[in-house]
Amino acid sequence: MVYCHPDPESFASAARDHTVTGLKASGHEVRLIDLYSESFEPALTAEERRTHRDPGVSDPTLQGYTDDLRWADSLVLVYPTWWSGQPAMLKGWFDRVWVAGVAWDVNRRNRLSPRLRNIRRLAVVTTHGSPKLVNALQGEGGKRLAMRSIRSMCWWRARTTWCAMYDIDHADEADRAAFLERVERTFAGWG
Amino acid sequence: MADRPRALVLVAHPCPDSFTHASAGAAVAGLRRSGRDVNVVDLYASGFRAAMSLEERRAYHGPDPIVDPQVAEQARLVKEAESIVFVYPTWWSGQPAILKGWLDRVMVPDVGFRFDERTGNVRPGLTNVRHIVGISSAGSSRLVVGLINDNGRRTLTRTLRMACGWRTRVRWYGMYAMDRAADEKRRRFLDRVERGLARL
Repeated sequence: MVYCHPDPESFASAARDHTVTGLKASGHEVRLIDLYSESFEPALTAEERRTHRDPGVSDPTLQGYTDDLRWADSLVLVYPTWWSGQPAMLKGWFDRVWVAGVAWDVNRRNRLSPRLRNIRRLAVVTTHGSPKLVNALQGEGGKRLAMRSIRSMCWWRARTTWCAMYDIDHADEADRAAFLERVERTFAGWG
Repeated sequence: MADRPRALVLVAHPCPDSFTHASAGAAVAGLRRSGRDVNVVDLYASGFRAAMSLEERRAYHGPDPIVDPQVAEQARLVKEAESIVFVYPTWWSGQPAILKGWLDRVMVPDVGFRFDERTGNVRPGLTNVRHIVGISSAGSSRLVVGLINDNGRRTLTRTLRMACGWRTRVRWYGMYAMDRAADEKRRRFLDRVERGLARL
């Protein structure tokens, strides 16, 4: 599980906790990556760019993330949607950790082949300030990035779960509580 | 001398010898030919911090959401800009983190948008911006990028477009299948960018 929000008292942190509770209820062992509390550095470096076709992460501090990715059979991302997408912190985690030899290989025909075939389930828990209609008009870039681009490096039949709250700018306490309950129920139902 | 329109060019690639920087050079040459003053911001070279901080997040809905002088400088450039040009490589179908972070941190309330006092709805903030231009290269082919939906392009041509006035125009220059592109194809792309922006 990868969680991304700068504020430990945010609504996203409540969503994270309910996700963990749900996952444990359905018998999952959970490893939690908290990018902000780990002070992850999201900007890919020049050195990493120059060696981006060499397999593996060049920065040894990233090794733990690649081990976690290989260990997991499900990946759950919990974050707020900003400007239609993942916060820079989480986008940088994809940029720097999902590299050659970790997320993909280049095969003999010079095509990418997915490497994270151990990941059989992919879920996103996220909040949007604006209503669903506005996000639909904007093209839901973050949803597609996760559910298409990131998913394409997982098992080819990986199942996806999109657990999203829209229009949180106008939500009241009851709406928020209902969403948290839905999040927990969703993951408690993961067999 | 009358004030000339100002173009803000944002470049997001860690290597100065990259195709992205070459594309930015072509864009700047074109924009100058079009009679614009050009401000180039190289996000990596200027050491721009990608991740929104806790302090910034907590100030976001307050009276003054900008707490970092570097962000204040970017906000000033945005408010003076008649056009904003984004030049970056497409990674995981989107903007590199450093550029996504520019959107997260600079496009805050009263810069990128404002909240309507009565309804709480979001209203456009970039009413001074007449042109949004995206210039990006992707390793995958146009077909593959299309299947994944070219999400970075959507973020600029739809989400950011919605933050502008109704007359704002968007343009997209996409170089696909970069991983296999020959020099000739790269040169043609740079040419197309320069000629296109000269006529903006």
